[in-house]
Amino acid sequence: MEKQVQKTGFLRKIEKSTLWLLLLLIGLVVVVSIAAPKQFVTLANFQSMGFQLPEFGIMSLGMMICMIAGGIDLSIVGMANLSGIVAAAFMHAVGVDSTAGMAGGICLALVVGMACGAFNGLLIGGLRIPAMLVTLCAQQIFMGLGLVITKGPAIAGLSEAYQVIGNGVVANAIPIALVLFIGVAVVLFFVMKYTVYGQQLYLLGSNPVASRYSGVNNIKVIVKTHMISGLLAAVAGIVISSHYGSAKSDYGSAYTLQTLLICILGGISPVGGKGKLAGVVLAIVIIQVISSAFGILRVDSFLKTFVFGLILIAVMIMQYWAGSGSKKIKTTKEKQIG
Amino acid sequence: MNQQAKTERIKNIFSSNQMIVIYIIAGMLILIAGINPSAFGPATFIDTGRSMLTMLMFALCEMIVIISGGIDVSFPAFATFCMYATTKLMVTAGIDGVLLSFVIAGAMGLGLGLLNGFLVGTCKIPTLIATLGTSSLIHGALLSFVGVNDITNLPPQMDEVGKQYLFQVQTDAGVSSMSIFIILPIVLCVIVWLLLRYTMLGRSIYAIGGDVNSAQRAGFNVKRTQYFIYMFVGVIVGIGGMTYTLLARNANTTQLMGSEMMVIAAVVIGGARITGGHGNVLGTILGVALINIVSNNLIVMGVPTYWQTFLIGLLIIVGVIITSVKAKRVALAPKI
Amino acid sequence: MSDVFLKVTGIKKSFGGVQALKGVDLEIKKGEVRSLAGENGCGKSTLIKVISGAHSADAGEVVIDGKRYDSLTPMDAICAGIQVIYQDFAVFPNLTVAENIALNYELDTCQKTVNWKEVKEIAQKAMARIGAEIPLDVLVERLSVANKQMVAICRALLNDAKLVIMDEPTTALTAREVARLFDVIRMMQENGIAVMIVTHKLDEVYEIAETLTILRNGEKVAEGPINEFDRPRFIKSMTGRDIEEVFYRPEQNDNKILEVQGISREGAFQDVTFDLYEGDVLGITGLLGSGRGEIGEALFGMAPATSGSIKMGGQEIKIKSVGDAMKNGVGYVPEDRLTEGLFLELPIGTNTIAASVKSYLHGGRLDYKAMNESMWKWIKDLSVAAPSPEPPIKTLSGGNQQKVVLAKWLNTKPRLLILNGPTVGVDIGSKTDIHKILRGLVADGVGVIVISDDLPELIQNCNRVLIMRGGKLAGCFETTDLDETKLSALLSEQA
Repeated sequence: MEKQVQKTGFLRKIEKSTLWLLLLLIGLVVVVSIAAPKQFVTLANFQSMGFQLPEFGIMSLGMMICMIAGGIDLSIVGMANLSGIVAAAFMHAVGVDSTAGMAGGICLALVVGMACGAFNGLLIGGLRIPAMLVTLCAQQIFMGLGLVITKGPAIAGLSEAYQVIGNGVVANAIPIALVLFIGVAVVLFFVMKYTVYGQQLYLLGSNPVASRYSGVNNIKVIVKTHMISGLLAAVAGIVISSHYGSAKSDYGSAYTLQTLLICILGGISPVGGKGKLAGVVLAIVIIQVISSAFGILRVDSFLKTFVFGLILIAVMIMQYWAGSGSKKIKTTKEKQIG
Repeated sequence: MNQQAKTERIKNIFSSNQMIVIYIIAGMLILIAGINPSAFGPATFIDTGRSMLTMLMFALCEMIVIISGGIDVSFPAFATFCMYATTKLMVTAGIDGVLLSFVIAGAMGLGLGLLNGFLVGTCKIPTLIATLGTSSLIHGALLSFVGVNDITNLPPQMDEVGKQYLFQVQTDAGVSSMSIFIILPIVLCVIVWLLLRYTMLGRSIYAIGGDVNSAQRAGFNVKRTQYFIYMFVGVIVGIGGMTYTLLARNANTTQLMGSEMMVIAAVVIGGARITGGHGNVLGTILGVALINIVSNNLIVMGVPTYWQTFLIGLLIIVGVIITSVKAKRVALAPKI
Repeated sequence: MSDVFLKVTGIKKSFGGVQALKGVDLEIKKGEVRSLAGENGCGKSTLIKVISGAHSADAGEVVIDGKRYDSLTPMDAICAGIQVIYQDFAVFPNLTVAENIALNYELDTCQKTVNWKEVKEIAQKAMARIGAEIPLDVLVERLSVANKQMVAICRALLNDAKLVIMDEPTTALTAREVARLFDVIRMMQENGIAVMIVTHKLDEVYEIAETLTILRNGEKVAEGPINEFDRPRFIKSMTGRDIEEVFYRPEQNDNKILEVQGISREGAFQDVTFDLYEGDVLGITGLLGSGRGEIGEALFGMAPATSGSIKMGGQEIKIKSVGDAMKNGVGYVPEDRLTEGLFLELPIGTNTIAASVKSYLHGGRLDYKAMNESMWKWIKDLSVAAPSPEPPIKTLSGGNQQKVVLAKWLNTKPRLLILNGPTVGVDIGSKTDIHKILRGLVADGVGVIVISDDLPELIQNCNRVLIMRGGKLAGCFETTDLDETKLSALLSEQA
């Protein structure tokens, strides 16, 4: 009997949040396929989607864990570009075609990403400055550091081998970057579901005071969360710089809004403690489908900005209507951690 | 005891946020004077004043929002929309007039502010997310429906007013001129100061920033106050955007975008707490002044341009840390 | 009846399936001092919120000064002359004392502008009325709890109040301040202002109130002039049973579980020493601010002691953080369940294992099957009224929520469990259940410390009670030598 109760509970959960997103995705794909069958339902189109999606997809996953922890990370794009720039500069310094240089550059980028995340995490957790303010300032600093290294223009002329990460395919069809994204998502799924950290992340996001009273080391969890976010940003930065064949401090500036939109659409609560990876992954795909549709229909990219803003606001208003009566969304005012 | 209270008050004044900012500004000025004495003169002050002009207007708006416990990242998009759409409208329709342009831009700002007010006041959406959304929405709308290219052929009166000066100073380096528009932020400072300090509306902004629930229980109309805040801010942002266009004598769709960072930083350095309830006009003026003095003089001090973003970022984060640590110290200090 | 100021009839209110008020009537005459009494969770707070317009009732009628209100808003209530002083005072931490006091007055008189000179004068006058002396220019965030309350009282007095409702007004006050408060209340009464004091403290009820209304489980169970109630009737009405003479006397042996030697933390407590034996239940009590809660927080590493020594099972241990405390098997049920104890939005099950996630780590991954088993086990063992571990914990009643907080700690298999206010806001049935759980724990050799201001609870459950006064240990008493009156006298005794 117990088993039965659990099972219906499980099914209900799937239905509620994820199923709607799945239906939305299917609906979108059907609509776009009917509207532009010749352009949308092609291997080339799916492939190009597979190339674009990982860039902001990996960043969105970082944004997701920061939001589950009750914060936000507005510096993801800055960390991504800085990591890419450091990798590029290192590879140039060692010799563009050296394999060791490439490996070193990639490792260095990952370390830089984590260091940036640790910087954010320490200020947020240690000094208890709201995440919003810290990461907003940090974005400026990381971008500034990138500028200091590049002195303005992009660092171009990266090796062919490096550019394979963002442009290559495996099995003649599947973009390497997409494989990377799937890998990252699977690892993150495991981390969130099957590690102590994953559980503590939700506890912290749900109520930071109670989590302290339950023996959670809040500072440690916050620092870890932002380090993971930084690491993911670095991976995205590597993909981006590899894709363009160059690194610059102002690539992908639209991604901040896009990652936030994806998380909200994917059911991550802006006040923390709620949301699942599956929803975010579906939201990533949905946003990519919309992007591709815009490309196919030759709508100018400015309209995309408009529509993304519209979707974000619409989703928030719908959540308000769904929640009004029972409970209203709290203000973003940081909870005191005690 | 009275004496003790007095000395404590004096001590508090000297260790307040404003004073710290004043110390840093003074330090900066001495440093600049030391490195390049010729750059230190009335011209420096005029240049700083001119570059502060629009930023100060935006910063006052941001301050009001932050005092109320929110944050607004949509004002650059709003300002851009107001100034560009107004200019385009006037150029296309062939009408001219400085005052008229302000009225139109202000009215547009009012409408956009109403949108923010609805999302925050009625729908209770967290302000950061709401304003990020409207920012994207409005900037996207401007670029896709109104236009993209710079407008440089302003109508004659509007073009002319950018060259109206309050006064000019002759220096070795040339003529430094103070634009007539400096009056706008000064008037605005006075208005905002009066509003915040001497009206119940202003006090209710502090009240809801201090504790929304208490404000509700005390009988404040939180929703109405939030609507007022965002609509007032909308109008000022519209006018601020128009000022920017008239000063630059062209309207473009990108230059202001991204300026929210600096403005928020200036407000926070000026002593406003991002958690709401604290902040005042003087502090914001000082915060804006500090950031402008630093960014204007980095070149004078021989710092390469590509270091600027980073150094200003560093300044901002240090300012934020000082403010936060001070707020925490107050929270932990023995109670009376 | 023109002398009736407030009349409410048949008020019903429920929250998420829990009926907090089941049709309550209440009448307050002008200039009357009434006490609204009842145990925690009886619906007192909800009733106040309905009267003040903060909650709208599901059913029932509110008539103020002869005027019937269909939907009472906070502003209506204030304009009609009803002022509530909440337990959290509803002050603005970012505004000055003067402004906090004068703000409502200015709001009520519909002023559009602020005259700062007038604000100060108003505040000064209001403070003079109750003889308070707080610097006017100081921000309220820097005030102590007692002074914050003074500010709230001043503010309420200023508005042309006809009825002032005080929610547990004396909890944080010293005996002298309480006496002054009562003087003020009598003065207000002379001016025709009605006062309703919400409290569960017997002595205060007898000292100040003329009439009494008692609520139990959301219903009015007794009402009348104070002299019709002797203590036994009062207590019986409140608790719904005769005073239980069944006291639990844990059988302690000589094995010391915990030895605390001279621990201190500046600003909280000094030089506190006590022992806890196996099979022993130790009570710690004292007024608010006496340091009773702080000792619990120190032993749990939340705000560690800065000097002194702590031994567990004869071994000297260092508790510098919550992690240290938990490593040594210390568990802590915090005072404020809603903000400190629970993850309201998360499922019941997650709440039960929140402190013991680490123990489910097998072979590098969390064992969900074992977690699920634990969740079901605790729901059954503690008879938590929940269909499954799935629903969010906010759907449960206070008593069931508290059981889950207990389960969270029981699941860590503690050697020492500290409970701060274990039955605050808990219905009587759950209260008995919780006491039973504690006895079971003690029988299993767990050391239990109960920190509480619920004196009957202490007398019924503890072997010994430590009394804290002004951060210092004022004495340790065998409960066999104590009764409620004696204990409450010991608490407020001026040192």
